[in-house]
Amino acid sequence: MKQLAYSVLLLAALLAGCSGTPSKEAAIEDRGIKATELEAAGGAKIVEAARVETKAATGSAPVSETANKSGEGVKTSGASTRTVSTKTTDSVQTHGVAAPGSEVKPLADGKSATVDGKNGGVAAEGKPAAQDASTLPQPDAAPSWGDLKNPENPLSKRRLLFDYDSATIRDEYRPVLEAHVKFMKAHKDAKAILQGHADERGSREYNLALGQRRAENVFKAMNLLGVSDSQMEAVSFGEEKPVAEGHDETAWQQNRRAEIVYHGE
Amino acid sequence: MFFRRFLPLLFSLLALPATAAMTIEIVGGAANRIPVAILPFSMPVAPGMPRGLQNPAEVVAGDLGRSGYFKLLDTVDVTSPPAEPHELQLPAWRSRGADAVVIGQIRSLGGDRVEARFWLLDAVRQSTLAALAYTTTPEGLRTVAHRIADAVHQALLGEPGAYGGRIAYILKRNGRYELQVADADSQNAVTVTASPEPLISPAWSPDGRRLAYVSFEDKKPVVYVQNLVDGSRRAVARFRGSNSAPAWSPDGRRLAVTLSKDETSQIYLLDLMTGEATRFSRGGALDTEATFSPDGQWLYFTSDRGGSPQIYRASLATGAATRVTFEGGYNVSPALSPNGRTLAFVHRRDGRFHIAVMDLNSRQMQVLTETVYDESPSFAANGRLLLYATLVNDRGVLATVSVDGKVKQRLSQSGDLREPAWGP
Repeated sequence: MKQLAYSVLLLAALLAGCSGTPSKEAAIEDRGIKATELEAAGGAKIVEAARVETKAATGSAPVSETANKSGEGVKTSGASTRTVSTKTTDSVQTHGVAAPGSEVKPLADGKSATVDGKNGGVAAEGKPAAQDASTLPQPDAAPSWGDLKNPENPLSKRRLLFDYDSATIRDEYRPVLEAHVKFMKAHKDAKAILQGHADERGSREYNLALGQRRAENVFKAMNLLGVSDSQMEAVSFGEEKPVAEGHDETAWQQNRRAEIVYHGE
Repeated sequence: MFFRRFLPLLFSLLALPATAAMTIEIVGGAANRIPVAILPFSMPVAPGMPRGLQNPAEVVAGDLGRSGYFKLLDTVDVTSPPAEPHELQLPAWRSRGADAVVIGQIRSLGGDRVEARFWLLDAVRQSTLAALAYTTTPEGLRTVAHRIADAVHQALLGEPGAYGGRIAYILKRNGRYELQVADADSQNAVTVTASPEPLISPAWSPDGRRLAYVSFEDKKPVVYVQNLVDGSRRAVARFRGSNSAPAWSPDGRRLAVTLSKDETSQIYLLDLMTGEATRFSRGGALDTEATFSPDGQWLYFTSDRGGSPQIYRASLATGAATRVTFEGGYNVSPALSPNGRTLAFVHRRDGRFHIAVMDLNSRQMQVLTETVYDESPSFAANGRLLLYATLVNDRGVLATVSVDGKVKQRLSQSGDLREPAWGP
């Protein structure tokens, strides 16, 4: 609890610090709006965390102690390459609150000299932006965060389907990948999670590995087209998150897929 | 504050449905079942004996009856059960068709201790086959009853029973995922972890005190190890990319895991003390589902290095791997019997996924099941039964099959059951 509160404060401090940085406010602005949701989202996150309970099989540890242990387990992991703060930002990310605070730094590359009030004024989720948003700089020709949700824009296409037992990206998805590459090059702060999925047939763990390979192929394709390693992570959900229920090829085809998801959406 | 206010509430919500009973259905049995009479145990009302105790004979009869190896004789007319063999009319039970009779007694030892005694009597030869006494608490009587069933099984069939172990599995219901631990007869189910995101691949530590599993609560697969004694847990593999497929080394000090941090899914050995992950498999192929041989010399795993997913075996000392399965284009999820001689796995034939076993000496393969979506086989401690998951009427159920394919059981519950693992 203490750590969570601390992390929320830390994040809020980071966000506050960032909004004071004059460069690349367009992206910061998106987060600024969402930062106002942070309080509520922080609360939601705590409830969410509480929903992943851990309970003793035998005996009954005090509840608060169990909760603490659950939290410590995440934090003290010897094998983990991530730190407490990244864990916290991960949690925040899952609620669509903000991109990791540390990711804001690469923004200060001076590329965002031009001001595009119109684009800057719309947050990713179509909510009206805070007032100073209209004054924020935004790359002129570059695709905006808003385009990600615009059905007219190829950026709104996030899903690539695959053949059975295959991780080969079909030619038809080249325009989709190119649109996302262009977006990520224009928004060096953007971080994409490339999620691989498989259909339900066969072993769950083998399907997890198959989905991983699909996500990695999307990663490699976008990497070859110029997106940096540090902007992407390829992960797999295996067969655990089907978009189509049912036990036939129609459902299976929909479920053999990769999805491009951005931090902070 | 949130923890204090919400957790007790959530726990109480959680604890209730975990008691929902699982039903067990026998879908096949041995050709010749041994006729056995299991008489109610004598439980005289005495000071120190809690009232309302379940008669252990019911648990013993449930275990032996479901196994498919025994035919239970009706004992409802036994109103005053014998406490000792001399009180039993053994010839009468012989004339009713019993080959063997089980009798027993429970008595208070004072304080919180009770003693359970049982006798297994040969009705044909009029002799005693087994006689044992256990000291326990009233709450421990169920466990003792499973041990008695094991002893009866051993005495009559010449091989150990598998009634005393525990199972872990994932229950999905109401859009939530629960990792549950239960007795092998599916009773006493306890939810040890619940999450709105998927949980898969539970794996028991060799001492039965810890479970490793994969949770998606961080929006990606992460390997956790949970202590079942105090409920604490920690993420042991949360590297960049996906982390999955935990398997314990026989000494309980290492986990084999599948990580994608360096290349596509590859097998690593994770030292649980230092947290250090050492890469074990190499090459661009997909390697996963590692499992240790009981002697700790080999890793069996699934790889598509030959163009289709097949099971391979690699020496832990040298890393050199050889292919084990050749029949068919899809053989995955290896599991080894406790003596290391039999390999169980999922085998695809005509688009259907079955549980199969292979004798590792003769390399003879046998398909054991007719169901279509079989997954995640694991052996019981006696090496004679396999637990696996399958779909029946679009619903996930657990099932057991004897390694000769003759005896089958199904365990179902409201909600989807999946990812079973038989533990110590």
